Parts: sequence; structure tokens; C-alpha cells
Amino acid sequence: MQHGAGPWEVSRRAAMLAALGAGVGYVFWPDHTRAARRAPRGRIELTYWEKWTGPEGAALQQIVDWFNQSQDRLWVRLLSVSDITSKAMVAIGGGDPPDLVGLFTFSIPVYSAARAIMPLTEFAHLGAFELDRYAPGIAALLAPDGMPWAGVNTCYTLGLYYNRRLFLQAGLDPDAPPRTTEQLLDVAEALTLRDAAGRITQLGFGAILPPWWPYIWPMLFDAPIFDKLANRCTIASPGCVAAYEWVQQSAARLGPAAVRAFAQDFGRSMHGPGDPFISQRTAMIVQGPWVANFIRQYSPDLDFFAAPVPLAPGLPEPDRPRGLLEADVIMIPRGCPHPEEAYQFLQFTQRQDVQEKLCSLHCKPSPLREVSEQFRRTHPNPAVDVFDAIAKSPRVSVLPQTSVWERFADETTSAFDAVWDGADVSATLHDLESRLQRQLDRAADIRRRRDAARGAG
Amino acid sequence: MPRFSAAMRDQADGLLWVSPWVIGFLAFMAVPAAMSAFYSFTDYALLEPPVWIGLDNYRAIASDKLFFLSLKNTLVYALGTVTLGTIVSLALALLLDQPLRGRDLVRAIVFLPTLVPIVAVSLGWMWIYNPNTGLINVTLRAVGVEHPPNWLGLPGLAMGSLIFMSLWMVGSAVVIYGAALRDVPVALREAAAIDGAGPVSRFWNVTLPMISPAVMFNVVMSIIWSLQVFAIPYIMTKGGPNNSTLVYSMYVFRSAFEYGRMGYASALAWLQLLVTLALTLGLLTLARRFVYYRAA
Amino acid sequence: MKHPPRQPVDAHGPHSPRRPPRLLLHGLLWSVAFIFLLPLVWMFTTSLMPEERSTSASLSPLPALIDDQGRPLSILEPRYYGALAEQAADNYSQVMQTPVADFRRYLRNSVIVAALSVSGMTISSAVAAYGFARIRWKGRDLLFTLVLATMMIPFTVVMAPQYLLFKHLDWIGTFRPLWIPAWFGGAFSIFLLRQFFLGIPRELDEAARIDGCGHFGIFCRIILPLSRPALTVVALLQFIWCWNEFVQPLIFLNHQDMYTAALGLQMFQSQHGGVPWTIVMAACVIIVLPIILVFLLAQRTLVQGIATQGLKE
Repeated sequence: MQHGAGPWEVSRRAAMLAALGAGVGYVFWPDHTRAARRAPRGRIELTYWEKWTGPEGAALQQIVDWFNQSQDRLWVRLLSVSDITSKAMVAIGGGDPPDLVGLFTFSIPVYSAARAIMPLTEFAHLGAFELDRYAPGIAALLAPDGMPWAGVNTCYTLGLYYNRRLFLQAGLDPDAPPRTTEQLLDVAEALTLRDAAGRITQLGFGAILPPWWPYIWPMLFDAPIFDKLANRCTIASPGCVAAYEWVQQSAARLGPAAVRAFAQDFGRSMHGPGDPFISQRTAMIVQGPWVANFIRQYSPDLDFFAAPVPLAPGLPEPDRPRGLLEADVIMIPRGCPHPEEAYQFLQFTQRQDVQEKLCSLHCKPSPLREVSEQFRRTHPNPAVDVFDAIAKSPRVSVLPQTSVWERFADETTSAFDAVWDGADVSATLHDLESRLQRQLDRAADIRRRRDAARGAG
Repeated sequence: MPRFSAAMRDQADGLLWVSPWVIGFLAFMAVPAAMSAFYSFTDYALLEPPVWIGLDNYRAIASDKLFFLSLKNTLVYALGTVTLGTIVSLALALLLDQPLRGRDLVRAIVFLPTLVPIVAVSLGWMWIYNPNTGLINVTLRAVGVEHPPNWLGLPGLAMGSLIFMSLWMVGSAVVIYGAALRDVPVALREAAAIDGAGPVSRFWNVTLPMISPAVMFNVVMSIIWSLQVFAIPYIMTKGGPNNSTLVYSMYVFRSAFEYGRMGYASALAWLQLLVTLALTLGLLTLARRFVYYRAA
Repeated sequence: MKHPPRQPVDAHGPHSPRRPPRLLLHGLLWSVAFIFLLPLVWMFTTSLMPEERSTSASLSPLPALIDDQGRPLSILEPRYYGALAEQAADNYSQVMQTPVADFRRYLRNSVIVAALSVSGMTISSAVAAYGFARIRWKGRDLLFTLVLATMMIPFTVVMAPQYLLFKHLDWIGTFRPLWIPAWFGGAFSIFLLRQFFLGIPRELDEAARIDGCGHFGIFCRIILPLSRPALTVVALLQFIWCWNEFVQPLIFLNHQDMYTAALGLQMFQSQHGGVPWTIVMAACVIIVLPIILVFLLAQRTLVQGIATQGLKE
């Protein structure tokens, strides 16, 4: 290991050691720019994990700042956490949870079954959580078993965004978006453009864009995928088969591989300037109200509007629109350092003025029954009434409320991909249903044994 | 008598000196592994005490499509990385064994990627594989390929792309082969050359047998590593598209920390240990027959 | 060490008949260098680009830049490099100042964990290796085989149960799961040090023993000073392993304040909404840089350490 250590060698070594030393010195040097986010002396610091970043995170930070300034005992520290559904579970399971965690309504059954969150009834002595203040659909989401488990932090419904300029260009009426699934396919075909090589350059509509909701299509056919009372998966029912046959048909009309190739170009660019709808490369897309928020940021001149999702022929009722209703929720993990203080913040976020400010900053409808005149008047989303009408419609759908939801979503995604690529719909769905049913039965069986063990012990 | 007590003292001293490892092994490996064996017979939802369910987890595994799929994916990955990796690293080692100017620098360059943090490797290659703006597709378009594929986005290509990427990290195998090649006695090669053996035949009949212990070592180590691959698909593809890169360790991770099924995950983990052990022991037995060990 | 003395490197070169033309070999050699360097260079040049590069295709290693008046700058102008440096500084400061990730803190955490784990691994492995190399006792070889066998155990097998163990110990969310196990030695480090210790002449022990040294004295006064190269290799490899480790921080750390650099980088990239690739690559460069410095500092030692791995017989 002997080698010449000439003067050059020595000075090179010295330079690198100096660089390493400088790096270590830099990272250990006190950093004052971030101190402002920490709790001032004497306040209790609550850690709050949220999934939002960017403008949505900044909007929530405004709410947190509002709370921090509204009193002098508590200080909420907001952190954006990626992969939050699994990260929160691991942290709670490891006995090291944050004080508050922002998840989705479909997380409530998963987390409550795992005893990972606290029911809000445990804090009744600090002021009751009033479920009847929320729109009925939202109240049902927050309390899947009748007991409230979470506060709401904005809600959303899915609607069909459409680009009015592209409608005009294709000779379509920009004030008559498709109402039925059949019309949707016809309009989609008329709006799809290709280059000389047959590659899609503008897509009318693709059920794989965005790829997050492979399980929403049965609701267009009035076919539930889950029967909560019987704990049965019903994703192979005739209605669901019809829905996925429609999905397959929608792919076949434009070419499944061509649409996939087109969709894959977007990768991670959703909700940015490269978003398929915002960049006007997709004429119609099923999306949530937040898209209006990104449109006003990246393409304020985009001539768009939104409508309820098209339904199977015979289903549409103009004053009772359908669509998926979901909410972002805020929950208190079991075993967190400051549950009562966390509840105080949670209650603050549920105030009408606070919720309306956040919803407005996120371009979403309000989850509350009562909506102020000012909220309506100053709302930045031109289509908010469409989304609001869906949220408050008696025909609204929700995702399966089951503790095996993660599995449900993962498996449905694979089945959707298979159907898209031409697999036999009925066989695929029956296979999927029996597999999901096994998961449901297993979860129910374990629950029974656990309850029995608890009863005996 | 004094001799006997010296042996006794050596026995005690020896045990004392290796005790840090023994304690660590018991605490961080043996006990957790035993716990894991126990939990594999329970349903354990992380936040609640485990419930004994006998063989139910193993029965459920037998009909779990994702188990078989992830096992298959892992074996495909292992087979791909080990065979291609061995060929590429041997070829590189042979090239770097030639007396060429600048080969020390190239050796260092080939070794460098093995040191890069796996997160940075994964992100860097995600960028390289990016369908629109990645290095590979932009290059392909520049040379006239009109529709280069989305390497990580197509079920049929994603696993191959991960295997291809692993070839960038063969540096330590190259170093080990390089050291082994330098140990092959020159006299042997020259004798073969005088006997009229060409370079190919010299490689097969002289060089390869002489470095077979190093080959064996690398093959065994890379099998072990590739069977537990996790971070790369976790970061780059999340197991997709359509579960085509869902590897075994990732399925264990998901079961434990996303579905919250510690018991099921423990059962999966034990099967993984058994498969790994079986494969390695099988290889080591084969090695006895084919690997040439020089008398030390 | 047991293997025969090295042959002069070039001895088997020029005399061998029928070797491929040198020009071809040189071409091959440098294309290999180019290919292996390319991903890192690509990462680095991307980190210098303006954000638009994330969504526009280009093969140019240098960005197209414009001056204040909007005129394109030629790469021959000195001003171009000023603008380039400004652009790069902008990207890197975006990484360090982003509100969603505190990289300074992550790097600090990584340094702390690495320091604790490197010192632990070096000390404890040296102690255990001494027990395996320099003391004769019954069961030693069997136990050593077990040490080697643990290299075969996949981490995922102990991942879930270790998590439960650390949960019982209340270690989840602290650095302890990341460095305390290192204080109990590691199979590879023990193996490497044992090989090295075996090569130190036993006569030295005897001499020290006559001077009244026990095992501890021999260890401190003879073995350790003579083993500096091997100890350096162990420390370096442990540092690199620790700096790069991703799975354990992913499972055992929860709060952002505790993230290590590798975990922070992945979380930064995968956050809701995405981050431009130029910024992600800048963050990657920041994480890779210390490793490259260490590599340049200790290349020879490191490579020799890796090479020893294959010499198990």
C-alpha cells in the first residue's frame, strides 16, 4: 500500500480534506432561516403531517399561521410528508406518531380498524364534534360506523372538465358537454387528433388519465362495487361488468396502445404546466375541483368548464348529479404526545370561516351544510357550483369503506389495466371479486376472533 | 496443570473477545428471526396484540397471486442481473487486465458507481429513462427512432430496464475479478500459449478455472443481493406498472407497513430466508465440484 | 496474506501471441469509461440547467442561456459562464432552502449517524476479529462460519421483527436503530480484519507477552497500530454503507427532522405534486459529492479492500 506521496499528492489530499471539513462545518453551522417555523418559547409544539405541498401546502400554512396567531398556548408545526398513508401507519405503529395527520376519507376505516386513530368522541369534554354541521355525504364519510373519527379539511367531487376552445375547434357546442357515456365516446373520438404516423397528438378522453381512479367507472352505471352492510365485494355485478365493458370499448375506439402511449408521456407532470388538460392536449378529463387552482396558476386563459360525469343512458337526472365524493381529513393518531391540544386545533379547522378560507384557496366546495354568501361570491373556481351540487346530491357515491381498502385499490388497478388491454371483462372481474372477497372475509374473521379474545380476556 | 488452565483462560478470553458480535447477533438477528417465526403463525395488525391463527398465513400465501408474482419477478431479476452481471464484469475485468495506458483511471471510473447512494442512482436513472426528456429516448430520437418506448412505464420493459441499470453497478465484481486475474500465474498462460492454445481456449481452459473461486464468490453474493432487492424498484417504479416490478422484498414491506399485516409479512420473510438459503447452499455444493481451489 | 506474490502487471502482455489490435482495445477502454461516467455527468449537467429543461428534450450538456435583454448568449462569451454559475447557484440554493425539505439538517443527521456507526463498527469488529484471529479456543472456527453465514440473511427477513423489537425498546423515531447495531460488529468487517490480523507475525505477540502484556495490551500496542490500512478500509466501507443506506431510515425514522440525507432525498423527490428534475438532480449531486470526495481521497485503499473480499478460500 506504499505509494509516492509527492507534494502534489499531499496538497490534493489537503484540499479534499479541507472540502470535507468545510462541508461538515456548513451543515453543523446553526441555521436561523428555519427557526421562524419553530414554536416560540413557552408554547406547546404540535406536529402536523400533511400530504400537500406547493400552493396547496402554502394555503394550509396560512390556516396554521392563523391558528398560531389566534392564541398563545399552542404552536402547530406543519410538515409535508410524502407517501403519507404508509408513513403515518409505520410511525403510529412504532409508537412515534405526530399529533395530527392529514389523510383521506378512505383511510378512516383502515386506520380505525387498526386502532391507529382516536375517535373524536373521546374529546367530548373539550366541546362536542357536531356531525350535523356537515353535508350529509360528508358526515357519513367522517363517521363510517356512526362515530366521528376525523375532521374534514376540504372536500372534493369528481366532474368532467372540458376544454371549450377545443370543442369549438372540432365543431361541437361548447355549452353542451356529453351527458351520457355513449355521447362521451362519440365526442371523445371527434376530439382526438393524430399525426401522420397515427400517434395521438390530442386526446378527446381517456379513462386512464389520470390513472388514480380505476375504480370509479361503475358509478357511471349506478353499480356499487361494495356492499357495506353485507361486507360483500360486488365488482362483478352486471352493472360493473357493463361499466368495465364500456371502459374497454372506450379504449378500443381510440386504440388501447395508442392512448396508453399518449398517457404515459405525462408521467409525473400532472397538475403542472405539463398536465394533459392544462396544456390542452386532452380535451376532457375526469378530475377534482383543484384542477381549477392549477389552471389559474399555469394557464389562466384556458377556456374551460366542468360538468357532472356522464352516466349510462337513462340515468342522468339534471338536479341529482352523480359523482365520487371524497374528503381530505385530519385525524388524531393514538399515542400522540398532545391529543387534547391536537383536538383544539382540529376544532379550529372545522370553523366555518376557516374551512371556507381553505376550500376557497384550494378551489374546492365547502364540506359544510351552511355556506356563507361571501364564499359563494368570491370563490375562484368558475365551476364550483357544479362540484358543490354533486357534493350535496343524494346520488353521490363514496369509496368502499373497508379496512382492506388499500388492497382493494391495488388489485382494482391491476384488473383495470388488464381490461384496458383487452382481457375478458367478466372473467377478470369475477376473479377480482373472489380475491377481494377473500380479503374481506379474512379481515372480518380476524375482527371476530379479536373481539372474542377481548371479550374473554 | 498450568497448561490446562492456560487453555481454559484462552477459551474464556476468546469468548470474551468475540462476545460483542455474539450479543449483537443474538439481539439483532437471532431473536428477531425467532420472533418472526412466532409471528408468522399469528395475525398481527401492528397496534393490537397478535392473535394465534396457526397455519392460516401460510395457507393464504399458497393462494396469493401476488406472492407468486413477486417471487417470479424477483427470480427474473436475480437471473438477469447475475448472468448479465457476471458476463459484463468478467469482460470488463479482462479488458482492464490488458496493459493499456490509462486503465487505472478507467478502473476507478468503473468502480465509482458502486459507491453512489442507491437513492441517487435510482433518481438519476429515472431521469435517464424519462420517456420524453431522458437521455436514452432523446438519443434514440436523434438517431431516427421515432417512438422510443417508455422504459419504466411498460409492463414488458420495466423489469428489463431495472436489470440493464444494474449493469452500471458491477464495479466491485470487476475489482474482485481484476485481483483474481492478476493472481493467475503467467507461466501457466504462457505454457498454454506455447502449446498453441488461442486466446479463447486459454480463457476457458486456463484463466477461468484459475479464477473460478472469485466467480463463485461473486455469483453467490450477487444472488443474495438480487434476491433482496428493494430500494431500486421501490423508488423507481413503486412495483408498477401492473405489478411487473413488484419484487419479493417490496411485497414483504407492503404487507408489513402498508397493509399493516405483520404476521403475514413474517411468514413471507421466512419463506424468503428459506429460498435464499436453499439457493446459496445449492450453489456452494455445486461449487465443490466445479470450482478449482489452489492449495493455499 | 496467503496468496502468492503479485506478478509484474505487464508480464503477460506483450509476449502473448495473437492479441487483439491495441487500437481496438483502447477504443473499447475509453468507451467503457465514457459509458460508466455518463450517468453521473448527465446528473451533474442537468443540475445546472434552468427548470424548463425538466420538460424539454435536449442532448446539449450545457443550457441555452439568455442575457438581461433576452438575447441568447454564446458559450464562447465569458458572460455565458457567469450566467451559468448564477443558474447553477439558483438551483442549488433552491434545494437547500426549499420549505418542504431541510437538507442541511438531513446532511447533519447523516454525519451524526455515520460518525457513531463508523466508530462502533471499527472498534467492535476489531475486537471480535482479534478473538477470531489471535486466540485459540474451542468452537472458534464453527462460530466464524456462522459469522460468514449471516451475510446470507436478507435484511427483509429481520426487517419486520427488528421494527417490533425497536418498538418495544422505544427506539423507533430515534437514530439508535441506525447506529447501535453497528457497535456489535459486522460480518464483513470482522472477516476483513481477521484476514489481516492473521497475517501479522505471532512472534510479535510472544515478545509483548514477555514484556507482560495481556490480550488487551497486545491488541492496543501491536495489532491496532499495524492494522491501520485494514481499519481504514472497514471505516470507509462502513461510512459509505451508512451514508447510502435507505431502507433502515425509511422504516425506523418518522419525523422529518430526523431524516438522513438519502431518505430526505427520496422523500423530497416523491412528494405530492412532484419536483422539477433539475432540482432533484441538484439534490442528488449534493448527496453524492461527499462520497466522491471520500473516493478520491482513498481510492486505492478502498479498491484493495473490495478486492480482498474475493480471496476467501
